[in-house]
Amino acid sequence: MIRPAEIRPATAGPPDPAPAAERRPGPEPAPRGGTLARQRRRLFIPFVGPALLLYSVLFIAPIGAAVWISLHNWAGSGPMTWAGLRNYTRLFHDDLFTQSLRNTLELLFVVGAAVFAISFALTLILRDMAGRKAVRAVIFFPHLVNALVYGVLVGFLFNPDGLANSLLAHLGIHSPPQWLAQDNLFPLIMVTMTWMTTGYFTTILMAGVDRIPVSYYEDCALAGAGPLQRLRYVILPLTWDVFGVCAVLWTISSVKIFEIVWIFGGSSGNGIPPTKTWTSAVYTYATAFSGDSVPSYGAATASAILSLLLVTVLVVLLRRLMRREAVEF
Amino acid sequence: MGTQSAGRRRNVPIALGAAGALVCVVTACSGTGPGSSKEFTYWSMWKQGEPQQKVIAAAVADFQKQTGVKVKVQWQGRNNLQKLVPALNTNSVPDLVDGPYVKLVPALVATRQSLGLTAAFDTAVDGTTAGKLVPAKYLKTIDIKDAAGKPWMLPYSLTSDAVWYDAAAHPELRTDPPRTWDDFIALLNRLKQAGQTPLAADGDVTGYNAAYLSTLIVRNLGPGGLKKIASDRTGNAWLDPAVLDAAKKVEQLVRGGYLIDGYKASKWPAQQQKWANGKAALMFMGSWLPTESATYAEKGLTYASFPFPTTGAGHDSMRADFVGFAVPKKAHHAADAQRFAAFLLNKKYQDELGQEAKVIPVRADAATSPEMAGVKKSLDSADSFHQQNDGVAFPGYNEKLFWAKDDELFFGKISADTFVHDMQAAQAAYWKDQPQ
Repeated sequence: MIRPAEIRPATAGPPDPAPAAERRPGPEPAPRGGTLARQRRRLFIPFVGPALLLYSVLFIAPIGAAVWISLHNWAGSGPMTWAGLRNYTRLFHDDLFTQSLRNTLELLFVVGAAVFAISFALTLILRDMAGRKAVRAVIFFPHLVNALVYGVLVGFLFNPDGLANSLLAHLGIHSPPQWLAQDNLFPLIMVTMTWMTTGYFTTILMAGVDRIPVSYYEDCALAGAGPLQRLRYVILPLTWDVFGVCAVLWTISSVKIFEIVWIFGGSSGNGIPPTKTWTSAVYTYATAFSGDSVPSYGAATASAILSLLLVTVLVVLLRRLMRREAVEF
Repeated sequence: MGTQSAGRRRNVPIALGAAGALVCVVTACSGTGPGSSKEFTYWSMWKQGEPQQKVIAAAVADFQKQTGVKVKVQWQGRNNLQKLVPALNTNSVPDLVDGPYVKLVPALVATRQSLGLTAAFDTAVDGTTAGKLVPAKYLKTIDIKDAAGKPWMLPYSLTSDAVWYDAAAHPELRTDPPRTWDDFIALLNRLKQAGQTPLAADGDVTGYNAAYLSTLIVRNLGPGGLKKIASDRTGNAWLDPAVLDAAKKVEQLVRGGYLIDGYKASKWPAQQQKWANGKAALMFMGSWLPTESATYAEKGLTYASFPFPTTGAGHDSMRADFVGFAVPKKAHHAADAQRFAAFLLNKKYQDELGQEAKVIPVRADAATSPEMAGVKKSLDSADSFHQQNDGVAFPGYNEKLFWAKDDELFFGKISADTFVHDMQAAQAAYWKDQPQ
């Protein structure tokens, strides 16, 4: 007698996890686990294949190509000469690269901490506020504005004859700080980044907090828990995974920060920003595409690969750090 | 999980095979093939609406009418050459590009991707050849020959620089401009005593800041002097007294308080706007200043200029940056592209470039605008020429090393002495890390 388990095609991979002894002959459907597993296997390629294919062509292959280029000296076209790991060792000698990397990490950690502190505070304040939807839209707005606008705006506000100094002059301050001096430019970029991204993360965190059923808060009220206890025992554990996702999103985006630096200095993008404000992404771009000197694609891709490694390590660490038992509710 | 990982394992070869197939399809598609020979593609450095674009667009229309060759123009703007470099690795390259000499060199010449333009130079234009319309005196110091001795660039206009002033406010400078550095400093002192701001500068554009020192070094050592210093692998060339003297002159400008307040902390074009509105008397800037500042200049501003002062070392070269056409080696329609490059040297378009776009046409006999009269006169009477950055284009040298260090000098953070010593050390480290 033929049982359903035996008409499985020979190529179907590992045996079903469901023991054959449990199967009964006859027209009844087979136990769910077995069929489901087989269905899943069958659908695996059609579902995952296209995405995997696109991902390989658009991401994995270019990364492989980038690694290859980073091992050469190359002006972007024309002859390529083998350089081995020299492009990498050169980066570590290069004070400008280390400084650019430091700037990137400053954006990641300092701006990140500020953004999360402010977003979380705003989330808690907005939770009980009237008209919070309108407020949320207002807070989100800076994220929608193109970074170029900030580049123009910063000149309008902080040029020697700008709005800030005119206001200060009214207050009797006639020797205001040199806002746009090269040394002040990076802190200004950090403030602008905070301003730009806070609304975005507030919105995500608020969505996480809004998910928490009201009954938990009522429970807190009945138990006589104060706001801090409510935060510690209800809000934080139940939004922890949202925090984790936000932290990963911020890490990835902060390592790529580029356009805001590019337009803050150097004639709004027509020139090259002062090296003091460079991030590793700007370093990469300027090395390959400055247009003012022979491009060195090898050094640029080496810097890009290092940035990629940095993101990977940071994301893995962060995931480990944020790992908690998921609380289901 | 077991089923998933098994699926993944099986999927890898399939995915790789399919990826390969897709890559083949993509690359096959990007090859344009010979196609119709009666057309060519041109990636322009000008954007729609710019005065230069209008002149070139008119020339394109006439060229199409006269020759029947279709010109597929993309008005890309100043990033056209940055976009060109990666495109050179594919099969679909533009047949014609244009740009300033300093940007064409790294994009096309350093990568050995430029085509010799003998055909363009030999094309008949107005009874002579295009090549003969490019004044030979420029070619003495501006090297546009490739390794095979063929020109890789056909220039159609020039940019230069000058110290600009408003002739309506300072008519005396028309008759008696300062010629030497001492005259120049005396003028700055006079202006300062009269309660005027002598010099405007947008310090956030590092290339502009470096123009002072680059020009002073070229004044002290002659055209090619800065390039020679920058090429020194030991960096010791920076310790040359003539270089220190140039740096000290920059220091003198900074310490003398001649530069406009806030030049260290403003955003371009804030200070240029102030100059154009009479809030500073002078500005050392490229020959594009009149067109660039025309929209916000005060009424009645009469653009006039005098050349950067000499330093007594006997060098009085003028800056002459060629702007012109180049053809990539891989171009499919190089012949028609070269015909068009030569076509723009017709007197009609050269006059239009001078009078409507207000640039300096490359033809010596072309008309220029009144704003450019001073620069044109200086160029016509000069017999030696230098280029922006003195032609220095070593990878990353300008933007990562020279300009960054020069900013410290130009902002008064370090002295000239410290500057040359810092440059010596930084340059030695730079060359140590460069491939041989």
